[in-house]
Amino acid sequence: MKYSALSKFELSASSRDEVIKELLDLFSVGEKSRGLLAVALDIREKVGATVVHSSIALPHCRSILVDKLTIAVGKSSAGIPWPEEKVNTVVLFISPVNLTAPQEHSKFLAHIAGKIKNSGDKIIASSNQDELLKLLGFQLEKQGE
Amino acid sequence: MDKQLEKLISLHDLDVMIADLNRKDIRKREVEMGLHTEGALEELKELRETYCKGIKRKWRGLYNQLTRHYGNAVVPALMGRCAGCLTRLPTAVCSDPERNSKIHTCPTCGRIIYWAD
Ligand SMILES: [Zn+2]
Repeated sequence: MKYSALSKFELSASSRDEVIKELLDLFSVGEKSRGLLAVALDIREKVGATVVHSSIALPHCRSILVDKLTIAVGKSSAGIPWPEEKVNTVVLFISPVNLTAPQEHSKFLAHIAGKIKNSGDKIIASSNQDELLKLLGFQLEKQGE
Repeated sequence: MDKQLEKLISLHDLDVMIADLNRKDIRKREVEMGLHTEGALEELKELRETYCKGIKRKWRGLYNQLTRHYGNAVVPALMGRCAGCLTRLPTAVCSDPERNSKIHTCPTCGRIIYWAD
């Protein structure tokens, strides 16, 4: 699976919308596309907050505005209201829309589910970028298999 | 970017979300991640209705027609070609810096085209 992984330690935003914007700012897409990606992620959050394992948020969607799976992770020691529960780890990911993408997206969701099930507590407690990315099974800004 | 084009792109992303949550495998994975998907599909469909109201009848009609025919109505231009059917798009349109400020369709398949910014 090809992906691009980005990271921000420590997030400066203090609300869900601001965090999504802060992480989308790491994406190599234009301002208009960023705005439209924020709209898609907001829609997904509106129909059900993506908080798992007490303090991990997983904002995600598929969009025609990205050409490969793009992941951006962030940490906030102060915590971010999401909006009812506080989260300290955010794993934002956007999968592309193409013919094989539903299967790839499903495969990636299974990957994330496995990591959270096996290492959720460690992910929450992780104190640096390398540790967090390793626990999630990502390599920073590299093409994954 | 043309406001109607922005809305058509968001409608497309919303339709992908609806299609994904209709897929058993993706719903199963979302539940495995610890997410609750009950009611999400209905809410997304309601949001879709609201979105559609903001899109002019002409574009909504074209969008629905293209979706029925191809499964996707909006595609990016990739290296000067329509990503849906790979037809080369007119050079004058591709090189126009204001190309997203109106809605362009592919001369061959008719899909709505946008250029990544
Ligand atoms: Zn075409």
